[in-house]
Amino acid sequence: MTNQSVIKVGSTATGFFGKLKTVLARRTEGRAVALFAIIASFVTISQPLVFTAYQVTLGRIALIGLVALGLTAVILMGELDLSVASTLAVSGVIAVTVANQTNMLIGVLAALAAGVVVSLINAFFVAIVGINSFIATLGMLFALRGMAFVISDEAPVKLENTDLGIAFGQPLLGPLTPRILIFFLIFIAIQVFVSRVKAGREFLAVGGNRQAAYDAGIPVKRRIFTGFIISGVVASIAGIVNAVERTSADPTSGSTVLLASFAAAIIGGNYLKGGKGSIVGTLIGAASLGMLQVALTISGIQIPVQEIFIGAILLIAVITDPSSLRAVWGSLSTTFQGIKNSLVNPAREKGSAPSIGNKTNERGN
Amino acid sequence: MAKETFTQAMSVAPEPQDAKNEKQKTSFIAFIADKGIFVFTIVLVLTAVFFVDGFASLQNVTDVFHRAAPIGIVALGMTFVVITGNYLDLSVVAQAAAAGVILIAVSNAYNLIVAFAVAFVVAIVFGLVNGIAVGYFKANAVIVTLATTYIGLGLLRLLSGGSQVFGPADGPIATFGTSKLGPFPYSAVVLVVVTLILTFVLTKTNFGFMIRSFGTNSSATRLAGTNTGLIVIGAFLVTSMAAMFGGFVLAAFSNTAVSNMASGFDFEALAAIIVGGTSVFGGKGSVPRTLLGVVFVSILSNVLVLVQVSYGLQQVAIGSLIVLAVTVDALGRRVSKK
Amino acid sequence: MRKSRLVLAPAVMLASAALVLSGCAAAEEEATTDSGSTTTETTDVAETYEVYALLPQGSDQAYGTFYVPAMEAAAAELGINLTITNSEYDGDKQASECEIAVAAKPDGIILWPAVGDAVRPCLEAAEAAGIPVTVTNSDLFDADKALSRGYSGPDTYGQGVSSAEIMCELVGDAAVSIIQLNGAAGNSTAIDRDNGFTDTVAANCPNVTILQEESTDWTKATAQQVASEMITAQGIENIDGIYAADDSIAAGAIAALEARGVVAADYFITSIGNTFLGNPLVIDGSLDGTVFQSSSWDGENATRLMYDVLTGVIAAGDREVKFMPSVKVTAANASDADVAPEW
Repeated sequence: MTNQSVIKVGSTATGFFGKLKTVLARRTEGRAVALFAIIASFVTISQPLVFTAYQVTLGRIALIGLVALGLTAVILMGELDLSVASTLAVSGVIAVTVANQTNMLIGVLAALAAGVVVSLINAFFVAIVGINSFIATLGMLFALRGMAFVISDEAPVKLENTDLGIAFGQPLLGPLTPRILIFFLIFIAIQVFVSRVKAGREFLAVGGNRQAAYDAGIPVKRRIFTGFIISGVVASIAGIVNAVERTSADPTSGSTVLLASFAAAIIGGNYLKGGKGSIVGTLIGAASLGMLQVALTISGIQIPVQEIFIGAILLIAVITDPSSLRAVWGSLSTTFQGIKNSLVNPAREKGSAPSIGNKTNERGN
Repeated sequence: MAKETFTQAMSVAPEPQDAKNEKQKTSFIAFIADKGIFVFTIVLVLTAVFFVDGFASLQNVTDVFHRAAPIGIVALGMTFVVITGNYLDLSVVAQAAAAGVILIAVSNAYNLIVAFAVAFVVAIVFGLVNGIAVGYFKANAVIVTLATTYIGLGLLRLLSGGSQVFGPADGPIATFGTSKLGPFPYSAVVLVVVTLILTFVLTKTNFGFMIRSFGTNSSATRLAGTNTGLIVIGAFLVTSMAAMFGGFVLAAFSNTAVSNMASGFDFEALAAIIVGGTSVFGGKGSVPRTLLGVVFVSILSNVLVLVQVSYGLQQVAIGSLIVLAVTVDALGRRVSKK
Repeated sequence: MRKSRLVLAPAVMLASAALVLSGCAAAEEEATTDSGSTTTETTDVAETYEVYALLPQGSDQAYGTFYVPAMEAAAAELGINLTITNSEYDGDKQASECEIAVAAKPDGIILWPAVGDAVRPCLEAAEAAGIPVTVTNSDLFDADKALSRGYSGPDTYGQGVSSAEIMCELVGDAAVSIIQLNGAAGNSTAIDRDNGFTDTVAANCPNVTILQEESTDWTKATAQQVASEMITAQGIENIDGIYAADDSIAAGAIAALEARGVVAADYFITSIGNTFLGNPLVIDGSLDGTVFQSSSWDGENATRLMYDVLTGVIAAGDREVKFMPSVKVTAANASDADVAPEW
């Protein structure tokens, strides 16, 4: 029999479904899955080609999702890495330039090394110097873009080993191209790291409450370095994959990927302030965005209309976040309280009409 | 409210809860962090005057103003959003372009007054949508303004057909673009006027005080009972108005407008704001500082063209500058906290 | 461990959802018609062709704004259902759109390369799928041409050449110094025109010295700013002329000159485009010469060329090249009806 002195703390749901409910309640991907389901059904009805030609859709998802995955590692810690777009471009340029002189393998290694160097610089400024990551990586975004232009002499660099590039774009495993396979491998790697490896699990702690993480003995600075290295290396890989598949490295590439990656991460339920979110969420977010983009392209709707569509969906997705809805509900009910109070007792209420700076509320809410 | 002199307005906005931080100029690093941008600007100007041919000419001064004005006006307005700790407003790209296109296209079709009215309404709508989403729905400003940029540019292209519009060669817009007040182009005058107005708003009005206190400590402001949603809406509305005027000035400069004419404005404005010393953490910053940041970045860009630096290296320079400026700021803050 | 279920649960949901949906989709495909879009998936009569047009610009740039309607009008006339994309000069995005296009199995693909170096994979995929590809506006590299059935459009390198020829003719033998304003950095049209111009000047009139070159973003405002600073850098007395990659850029450069109180007509200024901005400047003498580029010709002939391929007018194995005439526009012919500006 149960010990009478056991104190029940927290949920004690029993049974598979009870436990599943508890676990799912903590997950942040709920909205992402809902959005995915909505988009998937809409797309199935209107543009089934998105699914029948699923390898193409997966390719698009891999294009926007790869960078997003690396970015999520940084976002979980409450930091941002804007430089990924330029890291992508620079890596591609370095990979091709070096490969043309030597061979592909050395080119890839050089590009990966560049990605590591960039991420070390980013992490240095954020963890050691203490600059806000948004700004530090914004500066790197500009600087690296410039580097890409300087190294490539402001023109795309053509890969001489064109056959390798074409082969790289061919399906490798069934209908899946190397890009898609790399995407899934990286997803699994990062997901395992963040969920199973101790260092990775601490990312969420670092993001949730930086001070508490320090106090708990987590080597925060080292984790930040790790996070940026993940982000930088993944961006680098994305740049190499793009350049090889295209058989050319374009110094202007990556501009659309930056904001699409953020969108994928946010739709996936990641909080930009850190501490909450998941890699799986980003995967779902990237999948939703990718499906939507492919469906819109096939639909042949005017491009400006497509843009409006994506913007509207993004806006709705971000507004219907549960915490957002709670916040609005809170504000609305406070406002109604205020109005109600002022109507009921106009004499008692000082400055009853809600206005900037003068609104008082008896509940002090 | 106590009367504040211009120098006090130039200094960092006082932390509303912590008056004793005012005098912290003891450490050198703290001095650099706080006043560094002044020093750097002076150094840059002196170097350019002595070593760069043609920098000190009247024509070049006018060119620097022309560089500074559109992006400067936008940056001044966006400072309000940054001070509230909301990072930035990406949609200024769409807003400035929309204002410019509306100004020329609508004044061609109807007249200038109608154009101003339409642009004004559009700016209000942008500001409200952004402000409500960020202020009431507490959604992330980066994503919200990204979304409104897509929607805004999409609508602009749809309605304007995307073509380049230009005004009549002797119309009022063209005249504005080429007129000068002494050595100052009209756009520079607008820049100065906007600076004065926004400085007044930020430092002397209740609203401005709310913006600053919200940035420093949003939960404290909330507990004090202020309606934070309205503060955020206000900040975004200020940015929208500024983006509108920035778009006007840019369109007047070349007497043409096209939907991609303001591309890059978002990050460039942010760069100017940061270089000026406003902190992205929110709370610390001021409008005159942004002006200084804009002037510095404009002079730097100008000098880079004068000395024939390639496009790629120009980008590297500006990026490094941002990182340098923020490093100095971070070091200064760390030192002053000890 | 509960954790593994954590990862597994959403993954399994996703996978099953995907499987179910693709199963449904496969079953539905035969019976599906889309109500909300402008192109239909089902090809009912042989006269309607499904064609994908992969473009790098559309209504986001002045040229594309007039190109696309001309392309669509010709398509409507010839019974072609066009699906148009806009990759905004992003090579990766265009490659992804190409994959989509190939998967959609249209009757043909019209390609306007966003990044000339990067389209070979797309071409090979289309070839493997048996879809004919024609190229518009910017031709492929020689090595890739065999994978396409034709090209229609301007000769961007040749435009630079024509503009240089006008310049050389104007200048004669005199030792002249000019400044050069290019299009956007990294953009293929900008690069081609730059090369065309500089190569021709070096070959035909080496007495022309290029003092400084800068990139712009094709807009008049940026060009005006940069031109003014270049003039300051070089000194106005040292400059005799300006080459601009586009009429909007030239208009900006001319505005920069006039802001200094000098008369633009006194300078040797050439550019490319013959646009709404440029043509009046040629007529009033500020701009000495430009090269006519008809965006509507470009759009229309992109469609017509594809039609010729689809109807067998162009035999398999042939490659037809239709160059847009690079008509030089100077004060002599600027007012003629056949060079009326279009964009």
